[in-house]
Amino acid sequence: MISLWRVFWSEMKKSHRLNFHSKLIYFSLLVWPAITYASAYYSLQPFNLGAHSPLNRFFSSEKIGVFLLTGYLGYIFFWSLVQSAWQMSFERYSGTIELIFLSPVSRLGMIYGRAAADLLEGVWLFSTFTLLAVASVKGINAVGWWSIPLGLVILVVSAVIWGGFLNVIFLFSRDSSFLYTVLDEPMLIFSGVRIPVAAMPLWGKAIAFVFPLTYVLQIIRELVMEGMGFRQILPSLGVLFAVLILLFLLTGRLAILAERHALKTGNLTLF
Amino acid sequence: MLSAVNLRKVYITKEKQGIFRTWKKEVIAVESLDLEIKPGEIVGLLGINGAGKTTTIKMLSTLLLPTAGSIVIDGIDALKEPMKVKKMVNMIAGGERMLYWRLTARENLSYFGSLYGLNGKALTDRIAFLLKEVELEEAADIPVERYSKGMKQRLQIARGLINDPCYLFLDEPTLGLDAPIAKHLREYIRHLAVQEGKGILLTSHYLSEVEALCNRVYIIDRGALVLHDTPENIIRDVSAGAILSVWVSELQNTMLESLTKVLLPFEASLTVIKQSDGVELRVQSKQDVTALVLQHLFEHGVTLQRLEVEKPKLEDAILTLAGRAVAARETA
Repeated sequence: MISLWRVFWSEMKKSHRLNFHSKLIYFSLLVWPAITYASAYYSLQPFNLGAHSPLNRFFSSEKIGVFLLTGYLGYIFFWSLVQSAWQMSFERYSGTIELIFLSPVSRLGMIYGRAAADLLEGVWLFSTFTLLAVASVKGINAVGWWSIPLGLVILVVSAVIWGGFLNVIFLFSRDSSFLYTVLDEPMLIFSGVRIPVAAMPLWGKAIAFVFPLTYVLQIIRELVMEGMGFRQILPSLGVLFAVLILLFLLTGRLAILAERHALKTGNLTLF
Repeated sequence: MLSAVNLRKVYITKEKQGIFRTWKKEVIAVESLDLEIKPGEIVGLLGINGAGKTTTIKMLSTLLLPTAGSIVIDGIDALKEPMKVKKMVNMIAGGERMLYWRLTARENLSYFGSLYGLNGKALTDRIAFLLKEVELEEAADIPVERYSKGMKQRLQIARGLINDPCYLFLDEPTLGLDAPIAKHLREYIRHLAVQEGKGILLTSHYLSEVEALCNRVYIIDRGALVLHDTPENIIRDVSAGAILSVWVSELQNTMLESLTKVLLPFEASLTVIKQSDGVELRVQSKQDVTALVLQHLFEHGVTLQRLEVEKPKLEDAILTLAGRAVAARETA
């Protein structure tokens, strides 16, 4: 197996050059999340958000801005990886996916490299959203400056592992794009992006726990909304860590199965 | 040496029956195929569409697992140790796919090189060498989307050579290329085999290309081997032979009778075609009877107007074989 890190880096460079070929893309990336955030924020405004609001049972109404901001920030990171996995279809069409599997490259290095490349936009988004939050949103309560970079690290690592999982699913079949529908909208609804998970019915909570984004958002909100320190977030971090390990192991196993399936059926060239 | 023994590939396909029902169907793509490629040799793999050429190439290059059989490359079992074999082989297909169009030639080669563990100076040097070999140095930093078809194909060749493979599988490498560019590529393919000692497997619909380049040819039909020999032997054994056409002003019956007797031991067919300005004598024979016919005509004082010799080509042999295969299937 070729050095994992080297492959990871090459894959990142390639995917970045392919997907971010114009500087305008960076600005367009910001416009859509900003609009969706504003849309979610202002659609809540006509409702009763005072002390008797149902939402007030879960967090103070003055923190709605920061709640939605953290929710959308996390969602955008994860959403961009669903998009990235979808691009696997393009690699099938162009025949390049077959060339990757013709080589002795580390399959996991390739899979996670692709996911990481698409998160370069995330750094840009994170910085802008953080500035926006500090400047305009009430309710930020962090114990120290380190909460921000720690939140970024948690978000990036989790999203890359999630992205790797999605990429591997798209290796199985050209028809995996149905996952986009199955994963994207439910992730937005159930992961606690707009509504706290605690406010959901039991079946909703069950769905929420399928998505790693749920655990990530919980930690980020503990850091920036509830002012928890590192020790206090350790239990949530432990749960997230366990989920990510499971997802990583599942991805590794699925990568082997996907290649075996392709070796048997030759389906890597079907598009 | 690359040695494939008793290769078999069966695909399971799903056929729809009504809206909800599907049933599985076995499709035999390759059946009991034995194949060898020695270093420095160009081997052709021919067959009509659906013969199993691409499936064979994919099995040899570790992209497909055979249903049965073995593939050993320089002593390494390709089915047990595919990762080792992947370092020793590469594949080049015709057409404009299999490249990242938004990347430049240098970026493409850098990425594909990294997949084989190349990095730093070794990678930079290899890229520079290959760009020079395929004459893309000046266009190295232009995105591939601005390349002509020929330039893309040359980049494909450079990409296929990035890991300096011992064995190279070429699937229609000159497909759709202009004649001068295709000729240049053919010369380069010969150079790779003769000068660099690479074992090359070539499939092509351009049979003149296969005839000109290949040391040996495997002909398959519906996945099974029909014939394996040198192009010269295949042409000699399968085709009806060379056609000698001689145009003369007039022909006497006695001369024609004696010529028929002379040609008898050679199993040659003689046809006389009357033209407006004379007579055309057409002789088809597996052996070259040109000197014999001419000597006979001169001895009888016949004046020649024109002479043409049409040698049989690999294409004629393949067409004959295809015709036989169709006839055999219809009989069965």
